[in-house]
Amino acid sequence: MTSVTGQANAPRRPGPARAGTLRNVWQHRADYAYVLPAIVVMLIVIAYPIYYTVDLSFYTTPPSLQLRDKIFVGFDNYQAILTSEVFWRVTWNTLIWTFLSTVLSFALGFATALALHRDFIGRGILRAILIIPWVISAVAASYIWKWIYHSDFGVIGAILVGLGIADRPPNFIDSVGTVLPSLIVVNIWREFPFAMIMIMAGLQTVPDQLLSAAKVDGASAWQRFWHVTFPHLRNVSTVTVLLLAVANFNSFIIPWIMTGGGPSNASHIWITHIYELAFGRQRWGVASAYSVLLFLILMTIGYFYVRALSGDKKKDREA
Amino acid sequence: MTRTLGCGAILRGTVVFASITSLIAGPALAAPPVDLSKWSPDYVRSIAGTEEFDTAAACGKVTPLDYKGRLTFWYQGVFEGDPDLLRQYYKDFFETFRKTYPNIQLEEQALTYNDLLDKFRTALLGNAAPMAVRLQILGGTEFASKGYLQPLKPEDVGWATEDFWPGAMKAVTWDGVTYGIPTNNETMAFIWNADIFKRAGLDPDKAPATWDDVVKYSKQIHDKLGIAGYGLVARKNAGNTPYRFMPQLWGYGGGVFDEADPSPTYGEVRLNSEASKRALQASYDMYVRDKSVPVSALTNQQADNQPLFLGGQLGMMISHPSDYNVMLDLQKKATGSDKDKAQTVIDNMRYGLIPTGPDGKRAVVFGGSNIHILKPEYVDGGKVDEPAAKALICFWTSPEWSLKMAYAGSNPGNLNGFKTKWMKERLDNIKFLDVTTSMLPYGIPFPALPESPEIMNIIIPDMLQNALTGAMSVDQAAEDAAKNVEDLKGGGGL
Repeated sequence: MTSVTGQANAPRRPGPARAGTLRNVWQHRADYAYVLPAIVVMLIVIAYPIYYTVDLSFYTTPPSLQLRDKIFVGFDNYQAILTSEVFWRVTWNTLIWTFLSTVLSFALGFATALALHRDFIGRGILRAILIIPWVISAVAASYIWKWIYHSDFGVIGAILVGLGIADRPPNFIDSVGTVLPSLIVVNIWREFPFAMIMIMAGLQTVPDQLLSAAKVDGASAWQRFWHVTFPHLRNVSTVTVLLLAVANFNSFIIPWIMTGGGPSNASHIWITHIYELAFGRQRWGVASAYSVLLFLILMTIGYFYVRALSGDKKKDREA
Repeated sequence: MTRTLGCGAILRGTVVFASITSLIAGPALAAPPVDLSKWSPDYVRSIAGTEEFDTAAACGKVTPLDYKGRLTFWYQGVFEGDPDLLRQYYKDFFETFRKTYPNIQLEEQALTYNDLLDKFRTALLGNAAPMAVRLQILGGTEFASKGYLQPLKPEDVGWATEDFWPGAMKAVTWDGVTYGIPTNNETMAFIWNADIFKRAGLDPDKAPATWDDVVKYSKQIHDKLGIAGYGLVARKNAGNTPYRFMPQLWGYGGGVFDEADPSPTYGEVRLNSEASKRALQASYDMYVRDKSVPVSALTNQQADNQPLFLGGQLGMMISHPSDYNVMLDLQKKATGSDKDKAQTVIDNMRYGLIPTGPDGKRAVVFGGSNIHILKPEYVDGGKVDEPAAKALICFWTSPEWSLKMAYAGSNPGNLNGFKTKWMKERLDNIKFLDVTTSMLPYGIPFPALPESPEIMNIIIPDMLQNALTGAMSVDQAAEDAAKNVEDLKGGGGL
């Protein structure tokens, strides 16, 4: 935060003395006053829901009772989830979904950005066209893809049958084996333009002088990319991957609209399953426990990720 | 077009009705406005247009026509699978209500069948519900048992309890108290394409008599013509799935509980009975063994079957009489040769009674919707304008509007609706209506339990999907579903 009083840059006194801490707070009272409204809002919209979700996770809500009449069951909800076959299947689906969507969206976006970084006729038009999947509504895209994939009269099936490549339309979203990969393809199609834009922005920061110097020194195209361009893209790549991973862990629209998590739970991921438990089946307690577990898992991943990121920056500073 | 419900079928229907009346009849009631023991297409025709009703005058006695107030109202409205005719009636209803009660500020919101429950539940948690709501028949017990609804009986809005189907009144009763009023009640029928039957070597004017025949016919159609035979629907969280599978389950003698018995107690779970497994096996045979139904059945709903049927790519399906009007609407939108093709399908459309199980048991879901008033503490703003709510409910459940709002696809919740001139007009205009009204006596209501929405919208489709995708065997899927119902009733499970 930017200091406006001039006191924020005052040297900090070492030591845990309470009086010292209070004095420090008092000295920075203007800073705290500035951030107070934001902290209050955060407490209301983030801290309270987290507290409420954790609290609710220790209760059960049978279908005949209102939420306010919930019954305390201790850790039963957690036990029910962790011993449920469905949870582990959904977890596996979520990991596959997140990993493949993130890695492949990033890879495709990265490659596209590199291709579009070169000057050629029609680059602007192509760039605009490639951004379309990202800017159109995810709901509309899901419905369109549902029809493209339709197992009886989908566009892909009609083309394949029409060309004589297949006898009958392939089963994309009505089969437990193919539904998740099919949805991942849609997700990659939706997300890769985001990675492309981020990398394109990163490419603008690569100094031309460095590339020219490397060329003069006889570096090949690959060497220039690997030793000059790529290091400059490391930070933007890290942020892009993080954002994609978080978005994919929290995906809802595409799987929910296209399959509702089916068939036979084969395309349920954490968020769709939690939604179904809460709003479709009113298992508020179980859904809350599920959310708490998801929160802990994501916080753990986030912790290690940020630690790795901080480690990289530290190394950069030391270098 | 030929009406294919023969005298024999009607006679059988009337005879079977005598033994099934107990399924829909309640305890000692005053005489209803129509004679349920005579129910047949001929009887329905004989009473149509025999009485006049003045809706404004009747509702004016409940809430004065100059009453000034405000009402928020959510309802299960028309959606993509409904005919344009119904859209017009919904429009007319709200226009007429506003004209009749010009000082009531009505803020209505239409939601689709599949979205209504989720949205309503969420609103209730935030005390942001509307003052009145029209819910699918499945939802009433859940919300009544939780204490969200105000007691509300037909007498509160100027009608008599006997004016409504006894089975429908059961669906709005919880712990002996009535919490709502039925707006419409429906039973579906079996539809087939006579031309496809003929080309497949089947009798074009004869519906399959049993569910085993449906399996056979579906295979024959698929094998001979390479198109889907029967319009199976197994999508999760879609009302279409239980409405199509439960008649099959009951027909084979199965059930979730004993809901198909004369006096159900809902004590014993029967989803894993041999009869229930036979019903599931029939679906498995069509989807997996014979591949004679749409592959997309797991993600489709009936609205997806309609264009398949109109395109001549589907031989048989279960639906409302309104599907005939939907086909007419869709045909109007077709162009070139597709228009002629669609006309051929419409000309060959036939309606019949839903097939029986191996022991001759015929069953269909006794569906419909109910209208309720919320308690003030759960309503946005904390107030309920009861006179305004009662005015709207009186209007919708009147003989006139309960018929008009169910014009193409259903039947009036208020039995007096059958006596109106609009019923007579409807019988002349809506093809095959007599077939679906003939199915009413075979109607079985969903179990009147708070757990019913989850059972019908999640557990039943899950059971079907588990078996049809090969994720589980038929036995395992049935056992798994039965266990899920047991767990649910015990308050646990995932």
